Amino acid sequence: MGTWLQEPLTWTNFAIFLAWGVVFLFIVLGFVTYAIYFERKVIGWMQLRIGPNRVGPLGLFQTLADIFKLLIKEDTIPRKADRWLFILAPVITYVPSFAVLVVIPYTDSLYFTDLNVGLLYYGALSCISTIGIILAGWASNNKYSLLGGMRSAAQMISYEIPLVISVVGVILLNGSLSLRTIVNGQGDYFWQWNFLPQIIGFVVFIIAAVSELNRTPFDLPEAESELVAGYHVEYSGFRFAFFMLAEYVYVFAIASLTTVLFLGGWHAPFPFLTFIPGIIWFILKFMFCVFFLFWLRATMPRIRVDQLMSFGWKVLLPLSLINVFVTAIYVELFIK
Amino acid sequence: MKGLMKGLGVTFKAMTSKKVTYKYPDVPLALPDRFRGIQYFEPDKCIVCNQCARICPTECITLTGKPNPDPEKKGKVIDTFDINFELCILCDLCTEVCPTEAIVMTNNFELASYSRDDLFKNKEWLYENNENIRKENNSAMTTRGGIKKDV
Amino acid sequence: MIRTEELLLNVGPQHPSTHGVFRIVVKLDGEVIKEATPVMGYLHRGTEKLAENLNYTQIIPYTDRMDYVSAMTNNYVLVHAVEKMMQLEIPERAEFLRLIVMELQRVASHLVWWGTYLLDIGAMSPFLYAFRDREIIIDLFNELCGARLTYNYMRVGGVKWDAPEGWIDKVREFIPYMRKKMEEYDRLVSGNEIFLTRIKGVGTYDAQTAIDFGLSGANLRCTGVNWDIRKNEPYSLYDRFEFDVPLGTNGDCYDRYFIRMEELRQSLRILEQAIEQFPKDGEIMGKVPRVIRPPAGEIYARIESPRGEIGCYIVSKGKAEPYRLKFRRPSFVNLQILPKLLVGETMTNLITILGGVDIVVGEVDC
Repeated sequence: MGTWLQEPLTWTNFAIFLAWGVVFLFIVLGFVTYAIYFERKVIGWMQLRIGPNRVGPLGLFQTLADIFKLLIKEDTIPRKADRWLFILAPVITYVPSFAVLVVIPYTDSLYFTDLNVGLLYYGALSCISTIGIILAGWASNNKYSLLGGMRSAAQMISYEIPLVISVVGVILLNGSLSLRTIVNGQGDYFWQWNFLPQIIGFVVFIIAAVSELNRTPFDLPEAESELVAGYHVEYSGFRFAFFMLAEYVYVFAIASLTTVLFLGGWHAPFPFLTFIPGIIWFILKFMFCVFFLFWLRATMPRIRVDQLMSFGWKVLLPLSLINVFVTAIYVELFIK
Repeated sequence: MKGLMKGLGVTFKAMTSKKVTYKYPDVPLALPDRFRGIQYFEPDKCIVCNQCARICPTECITLTGKPNPDPEKKGKVIDTFDINFELCILCDLCTEVCPTEAIVMTNNFELASYSRDDLFKNKEWLYENNENIRKENNSAMTTRGGIKKDV
Repeated sequence: MIRTEELLLNVGPQHPSTHGVFRIVVKLDGEVIKEATPVMGYLHRGTEKLAENLNYTQIIPYTDRMDYVSAMTNNYVLVHAVEKMMQLEIPERAEFLRLIVMELQRVASHLVWWGTYLLDIGAMSPFLYAFRDREIIIDLFNELCGARLTYNYMRVGGVKWDAPEGWIDKVREFIPYMRKKMEEYDRLVSGNEIFLTRIKGVGTYDAQTAIDFGLSGANLRCTGVNWDIRKNEPYSLYDRFEFDVPLGTNGDCYDRYFIRMEELRQSLRILEQAIEQFPKDGEIMGKVPRVIRPPAGEIYARIESPRGEIGCYIVSKGKAEPYRLKFRRPSFVNLQILPKLLVGETMTNLITILGGVDIVVGEVDC
């Protein structure tokens, strides 16, 4: 992959890149389809239910049926809505979610680009989705979605900062923003991965990441028991599907990012296990992260909006800053 | 943090525990004998005493009688007997007051239909509803110096 | 110059957390509530008016549908009022059966409250855990009286059905099972820090306010007022059993939550004793005239329902139908404090407080 990316852009190369892009798109769509299925299954099991089991064997086609239903549904735009913003909002939410995936390395050789500002790129692009959500809340001309949109704006801003600062420790340790370098900087044994030396950063990152995803216990913008469905109250059909899609693509992205930053990417936990290919290790860790999100959703109640704010600013931000200082001192004293 | 961890432990354990869902449409529900479902009506037993129609809190029972075709016998026999299941709340009072157990409950409960007209059940339909008839009827009322004895 | 405006938000009648068709119109400043107006009546069926044309046995199925989460206590308050009026003697076995089903009902009702409250607060699983255990009670009721929700079980003078064979043993087995499950609930929810910060200090009022608003049940006891009709004016056989009335101190949602959890345990305690003392045999129906005609006069009977004091006021003119029937519904009365509690709270706390009051819309609107 790396050698291709270095080659000059010819039509053949462009075709290859395009083909890879399409293949990847379908991999991600497939992931989203089955992530939803597994989420429902896992939560079902945790709630002593069976989960979807009617469509196809073991309910495997349930999500496909749901997507199909969303696609053939009537596309409604409320008359009093701001039409163009209403149409634009799902696009703005979805496009960055897919674009951030470009910087994530899956194995040593399988990656789509090796930006030297990879992490910054991720942080910057994922912020744009917030704008889409706020736009959706505003453009729907619905009070519930407005409240949801406002909550999401406040939440995303408050948690984006600790999210980025919490990984500064990792960056300091590796001296690079490139995700590939960060993975390679993590050792062969699992206690050499970043999650142990950077335990504070890791915890802050996980909390902020869950919050970024708008998932339980931080699902305030949607908060179905308060705001009905928050910012996507008025959306139906495929526009709604795009919001859902964006949410699950972000699950994909965050789970990959956690794996890459803190869980040693494609490294095996012990050197003698390296005969198993790196992609398998990556997928295992990745699946654990995704499962953890579902697990949280099955257990946690929702946090309150004012508590969320004070938690973000008064706890997470100072913690992540302390983490930066401690790491900086450590790097200065022992590594340099 | 400790509370959160404990909670996660509970849900994790639940993952492998026994599931409690009924496989209802595939496997019919087993209901106890006393279950109050759609009534079964036996015209031959009915003595047209009108008690069921009178006790019904929602007035969903309408019945008419006619003179006994056998001139030797006195009294009336049932002519029409209709229960409107749009109104019926299956409260069990009609079967409670019936002196001859002409109307009894069954364990059948599936009444869903595409038309409201289908919910108007007549004598013949109720007579054909003869599956899962309740065995034990009116445990309390027979022993009481009340309704049943005096009729 | 920025112009700000209050936002008039209509919460309900179709809203996931208003427990049915309850509606609150709130004026919001940002997310802070400036004014809240509850609007009720979407489920009004005129039970009291209908009752004027029905005889006393016929009213019983209607009471099932008032507080449909706790139908047994509703059944009881009506028959209790009539029995009090006619000064009927109830056989002991019937009274025991009534008490057992009422306490089982209290457990079932609190379980529904617990599950839906957590659902309001955003946790999904507790709801299903609660319903798993409630299902056992519902099945017990189904076996006893043939219905899962609207039991129509009690009659003036006794109960309709005797306990079927083995039923009492099933109740006996249920008690330790439920105790074990209560521990699981505590592990899952009661220690959860997010949950505790959500309910601590939310919706606080003091004892005097609670009494002024006529609150009852856990909503009153959370302020420390020791008032439980089962203890203070024992009806049925409650004076024969030992149980404690849990009290709070702060009068917030936190106290209300833990009082209800403790009440669950106390109900199990009562059940345990009732099963022990349950008479081997006996009548389940007292000597009752053929047509129930209470003497002319008025009566008010009250009992402790899971939601508070449920009362039944009957004016009789000596006929088979009541001249006037009035239910004092605890949900309705407890709800009156809502506009006062909500001012200054956020949208999120609205849901927490409303859930903490524990209303059943069927009973609010009657």
